[in-house]
Amino acid sequence: MKRVALAVLGLAVALPAMPQGFTPTRPVEVVVHTGPGGGSDVLARAMVLIMEKEKLLPVRAQVANKPGGGGVVAAAYLAEKKGETHTIGIFTGVWLTNPLTSNEAKVSLKDLTPIARLLLEPAVIAVKADAPYKTLGDFVSAAKQKPGELKQSGGSITSRDNVVRQQLQKVSGARWQFISFPGGGERIAALLGGHVNMMVIEPNEAGEHIRAGNMRLLAQVNDKRLAAYANVPTLKEAGFDVTPVPQVRGVVAPPGIPRENVAYWEGVFKKMSQTESWKKYVADNQFEDAYQNAADLARFYDDFTGQMRGILQEAGVKTVR
Amino acid sequence: MQGFAVALQPMNLLWCFLGVVLGTVIGVMPGLGPPATIAMLLPLTFLMNPASAMIMLAGIYYGAKYGGSTTSILLNVPGESASVATCFDGYQMARKGRAGAALGIAAIASFIAGTVGVLGLMLIAPPLAKMALAFSSPEYFALMALGLAMVVLLAGRSMVKALLAMLVGLWLAGIGTDLFSQTSRFTFGQMELLSGVDFVVVAIGVFAIGEVLTNMEGREAAKALPVPKGIRNLLPTLQDLKDSRFAFANGSLVGFLIGVLPGAGSTIASFISYGLEKAVSRRPEQFGQGVVEGVAAPEAANNSETGGALVPMLTLGIPGSSTTAVLLAALVLWGFKPGPLFIPENPALFWGLVASMYIGNVMLLVLNMPLVPLFAQVLRTPTYILYPLILGISVIGVYSTSGSLFDVWLLAGFGLLGYLMRKLDYPSAPLILGLVLGGALERALRQSLMMSDGSLSILVSRPVSAVMLSLTLLILLIPLFNKFNAWRLKALDN
Repeated sequence: MKRVALAVLGLAVALPAMPQGFTPTRPVEVVVHTGPGGGSDVLARAMVLIMEKEKLLPVRAQVANKPGGGGVVAAAYLAEKKGETHTIGIFTGVWLTNPLTSNEAKVSLKDLTPIARLLLEPAVIAVKADAPYKTLGDFVSAAKQKPGELKQSGGSITSRDNVVRQQLQKVSGARWQFISFPGGGERIAALLGGHVNMMVIEPNEAGEHIRAGNMRLLAQVNDKRLAAYANVPTLKEAGFDVTPVPQVRGVVAPPGIPRENVAYWEGVFKKMSQTESWKKYVADNQFEDAYQNAADLARFYDDFTGQMRGILQEAGVKTVR
Repeated sequence: MQGFAVALQPMNLLWCFLGVVLGTVIGVMPGLGPPATIAMLLPLTFLMNPASAMIMLAGIYYGAKYGGSTTSILLNVPGESASVATCFDGYQMARKGRAGAALGIAAIASFIAGTVGVLGLMLIAPPLAKMALAFSSPEYFALMALGLAMVVLLAGRSMVKALLAMLVGLWLAGIGTDLFSQTSRFTFGQMELLSGVDFVVVAIGVFAIGEVLTNMEGREAAKALPVPKGIRNLLPTLQDLKDSRFAFANGSLVGFLIGVLPGAGSTIASFISYGLEKAVSRRPEQFGQGVVEGVAAPEAANNSETGGALVPMLTLGIPGSSTTAVLLAALVLWGFKPGPLFIPENPALFWGLVASMYIGNVMLLVLNMPLVPLFAQVLRTPTYILYPLILGISVIGVYSTSGSLFDVWLLAGFGLLGYLMRKLDYPSAPLILGLVLGGALERALRQSLMMSDGSLSILVSRPVSAVMLSLTLLILLIPLFNKFNAWRLKALDN
């Protein structure tokens, strides 16, 4: 009896995804380039939960952590899985910037099969609540008066944090230090402890510190104001004419997979991006829903890579490609 | 009190029990660690209420710390990076037929320190978190330098050999992608090396595989290690407890305080408290040959670190390790907003968690003590079965962590290195120490110098780092002083 019930249940779950010509028959592997708790890992796990809740997949999905070299290992892992129909990966912008700076990063996003762009993550520029700077202009002119004395905490030099700094330095002529910390927690701790003066931070990360009166925002790295920070100016509104480089996240698959497989994944993620659970997740985290299909995503690669190469070269970072 | 009302609900007791049992199991098995386990269980937690889920996940976190010592003591295979320091004396005790005593002391130290950690979390979390923020790169540099100075205490007969081994460890720490410039160092074009050499691979290779290779040399090796008969001889004696009482205190304090710092961690805590215990011991020469304090101190530090690590996570929303990062992500996924206002706004969850940790620590002690005699029987296995078993566990442990065959080859390489080091009488502890601290030491130094625009004075002009660096210097002078004293006594004799 139980077995029959299970079979019926299985059928009911499997049915909605049938017409595409491809249906997963065994667990799907979702590759991420961070360890448990990292940005892409958290997104992947939230995504798996949403797909389970909304019954978008007839099979289970498992997150596989392939950390190393800021995405290089995960990208290479996907490239090795050529033709594999049950593996997908979550990429971020570093998958495009890494091959520019690292010789070992032989696999670029362009060598993988694009599926969908999902998110753009805006950022905000924060200072400690008792800092003397009320606006981004205040900060930049203070940096100009004491070149190299003010400090910003952030990730690696290819990270978005540093890109924002480079752009601001270029248009203003000011100069301040950029101090790399491996963990997001350490970056915030350095700011709250008064060891650095400014940081670029994700809006939802900053939210609680602002509410507790520990942090203040100077500007947001975005084209338009976020709903939660309607009174914080964008970079342009703050008087700095720079194009905000978004943190982008999306889905790729191994190279050489059949066309109906691509269509299947495209369908799944399009459906996912329209579900209430996904919309709630995006809103809760103050991300920007930025769904793009495979063809558009491939075009996005080129624009993004070109823009990043220019910024990195201006910053004096050695590019190898 | 409100916390116990939450934690004592039958369902929550059950979740707590499940968490600590699961934690113990993954702690005993090398490989799969708490962050991966907790991440895997996340989907399940959505069926539970958040307090129960948090209680269970935290149980896995501190339960794993209890289990981690088991394979370190019995097989010289560190289950987690935080139990490497436990190998030094724990495995030697096992070789002398005192495995039960070592395991028992480890469990008792874990219980005491785990409880001290929760006490600290309960009583002084918010002010302590503020103090931890005063700690920045120069202070971290001084802390790592202090840890590295422990090499003079871990050295065997030859200081030169110890320093050489440490330098190799520091070099190994440099392999991988440089955080600051994103360039790769010493990777020889190998993609697998971009993320650096995994510390656990080196530790298991040098300790466990090296040990097995060395022991396989002798023809007479095919006999089992001594295991005394009778339950009484399998448990720690009163004398053991007496010898360890200061180690319990030292480990609990050092572990908790280092745990509070977001940039340190339990591995560093266990090494520093081991070194400290040896530095103030009346019998430092016996450390590394199986003294019970040498097990108690690092095990205590490793367990009270858990309570400490939860301080910045719960009071500020700042994760200090990958396990706390996963726990933080879980809170966000459940709809909470971790940050400075988390505890005042969710008192039931916080106090429920704290209360459950007291209960969980008692459960772990009750659970682990009866297992001690049982585990000690493992050593009755004849070596022709035990050694292949150790090799198997080591390979599976490494492979299950990374899923990469490359790491298994690395493991073999480091096993060979461990064997050669034993043959040539190089101590392996300094190598591990260099590897553990090297990355953080370099990062902290470079961050400090960026903060000061290149001036080294930042390291000594800040009081906390100045004090720690002076301590470092003092420790470095110990061997010179000992030499002088030996010379003086000799001169007096003549």
